[in-house]
Amino acid sequence: MELEEVFSSKLRMKILKLIYNLGSLNITDVARRINANFASTAENLEVLEAEGILQERVYGRIRMYRFNEGSAKAKAVQNLIEVWEQSK
Amino acid sequence: MAPHQSVFKDEAKLDINYIPQQLPHREKEHRLLMEFFSFILRCPEKMAQRVIITGDVGTGKTVLAQHLGASITSEANKRAIKFRYVHVNCREYRGSLQPILHHIVTVFRPNYPARGYSVEEVFSTLMQVLDEDNAFMILALDEFDSLIEKEGSDAVYKLTRLQEMRLGKPQRLSFIFILRDLKVIEQLDASARSTLQHSIISLECYGKAQLVDILSDRVSMAFELGTVQEDVVDLISELAFTETGNARFGIELLWRAGKYADAADAGLVEPECVRMAVSSIIPGLRRSELVSLGLHEKLFLLAVARFFKENEQAYAPLTEVEKAYAIVCEEFGEEPNSHTQVWNYAQFLSSLGILKTVVATSTVRGRSTQVSLPSIPAFELEKELSASLEVEKGRA
Repeated sequence: MELEEVFSSKLRMKILKLIYNLGSLNITDVARRINANFASTAENLEVLEAEGILQERVYGRIRMYRFNEGSAKAKAVQNLIEVWEQSK
Repeated sequence: MAPHQSVFKDEAKLDINYIPQQLPHREKEHRLLMEFFSFILRCPEKMAQRVIITGDVGTGKTVLAQHLGASITSEANKRAIKFRYVHVNCREYRGSLQPILHHIVTVFRPNYPARGYSVEEVFSTLMQVLDEDNAFMILALDEFDSLIEKEGSDAVYKLTRLQEMRLGKPQRLSFIFILRDLKVIEQLDASARSTLQHSIISLECYGKAQLVDILSDRVSMAFELGTVQEDVVDLISELAFTETGNARFGIELLWRAGKYADAADAGLVEPECVRMAVSSIIPGLRRSELVSLGLHEKLFLLAVARFFKENEQAYAPLTEVEKAYAIVCEEFGEEPNSHTQVWNYAQFLSSLGILKTVVATSTVRGRSTQVSLPSIPAFELEKELSASLEVEKGRA
């Protein structure tokens, strides 16, 4: 996916900010906190995972998402959010 | 007016959660515990340990375990071993295993969902999380008696056999079980019992001279120099000694006496402050026990206290107390909980020995639960709870 495509979604940016602030979260929790429905939240989380920004961990029936520790893209996104939030 | 001069230098040193650097008269037990768990610093993945600490109220069980946790954590950090000491008071979770395990998982994964997962699932998540983080843990289960009473043998067996079910994988989880009386273990079946009785550390009640040492140590940390005289420490030690050698009671008394001294702007903790502190502590109920109650349990208990303050009767029907509870809830801006929940509060407070509940049978109206407040003056209880609830309200 092209850069502009990944970051053109308001929902995806909300998800990234949320996970940056709270660490790992499951899909239902993400959907509830950004006030979106489950299906589109899950879909966007999968996009971010496919891009290597987030990683999924499965604990039995629970899927939790967090930033992909080994990914340069994830580090770059976290840096961007950090700078953005600090300069508010 | 001259500025108020407190007798305290650092009153946090008298808090029930404070862990002192030295544990007077528990050095031997601390060394023994360190020996039991020293493998964590050498070969953590090869072993797991289970230790029981037992002793009466205020004999230093909790602080001993926490001190060990702090010592091992500090040494493990130096050796770059990922180690966590997790201390859980089972009574705060009503002795239920699922919420206890959930709490432990959230130490590592703070947003792990609270509801909808079985004990087995949370168990398995906990071990997975420890594997992922390559972490080792000592889990201290305080007031373990409440878990035994609530969950029985199955839960204890599962808990203690966690490692055995992970053949070929590193050992990650050790336990400290803290309980007042070893007799509760006799309620368990033979297999659960045998998994527990590994190493037992029994703490004897403190003698008066030992209490003097402990309290003097706290005085030097918490009070300004010269504000607490030796005779005051001696008096408090004597009182704590008569309370079955309860150091926690002595420390609480010391704090209260300091507060009375400050309130009178005395600049010195005098024996009279200690006497006032003693009379202010409700018999049979400690501040630390009130603190651990939930908001609605406190609201319900406040309703009970007010009911008995205003009515000269020994027993009250639960339905009457429930009406008083609804009024208290309104006063504190809370939605009252259902009758079933209120009944649960009465049962729980009864299990703590604060209330007493009996079921009365009448030929006209069937069975009804009656509540009484056997040993605590309603006036004192109301005062204590109102203060505690006002603090909570202020924080909200």
